[in-house]
Amino acid sequence: MSKTNVRNNIRTLRFQTNEMTQQQLAEHVGVTRQTIVAIEKERYSPSLEAAFKIAAALGQPLDAVFRYEP
Amino acid sequence: MSFEEKSAWGSLIAIGLVAYWFFPAAFDIADSSDNPADLFVLSIGCIVGLIVVEALYHSVIASRGSADSDERDALISLRAERNSGWVLAIGLFWLVGHIVTVSAVDVPEKMGAMLIAVWILFTLTVSEFAKLGSQLWYYRVDAG
Repeated sequence: MSKTNVRNNIRTLRFQTNEMTQQQLAEHVGVTRQTIVAIEKERYSPSLEAAFKIAAALGQPLDAVFRYEP
Repeated sequence: MSFEEKSAWGSLIAIGLVAYWFFPAAFDIADSSDNPADLFVLSIGCIVGLIVVEALYHSVIASRGSADSDERDALISLRAERNSGWVLAIGLFWLVGHIVTVSAVDVPEKMGAMLIAVWILFTLTVSEFAKLGSQLWYYRVDAG
């Protein structure tokens, strides 16, 4: 199971945003819950558009949600 | 499990069952019968049966949940299609190579048109397996 180089704080930020569920976040972003699971586990790097939507749904700037670790 | 993953599982099982039943019969007809209509009827029967089963299965899974797909599904599908394309190309090049080689050396038993047709269908089926298998691998093990 390969991890991507894009790290994220989605799980923590979801709980800080009224304990938002993965399904609720998926509906905000317009992706499936399975995709949110894969992004949270850092097994899938979202598109830039999806990344912006996730950050907006969590009320955070993009760099507070995602960071790149080569 | 997403709609696309359920769809891939269903298609894999349906095609596997049809192929298990179809290919022994088709190779038997291609070897022993001179009537292309037998092979045509068998092939059409299998294709129609497969379409009906797939349509029923997909309507059931769509009615039980969302049938939406997203960017990850599209990426996984593209990667799986690429793998499938490689398998199809290798199979068809092998078949063409075999036909050309056999024609060149003039052996007594050449591959008949019906047998070639069955091998082409076999190659298409294997490439479809490669696609569905790749999709499931990316969904389960790799994330795409």
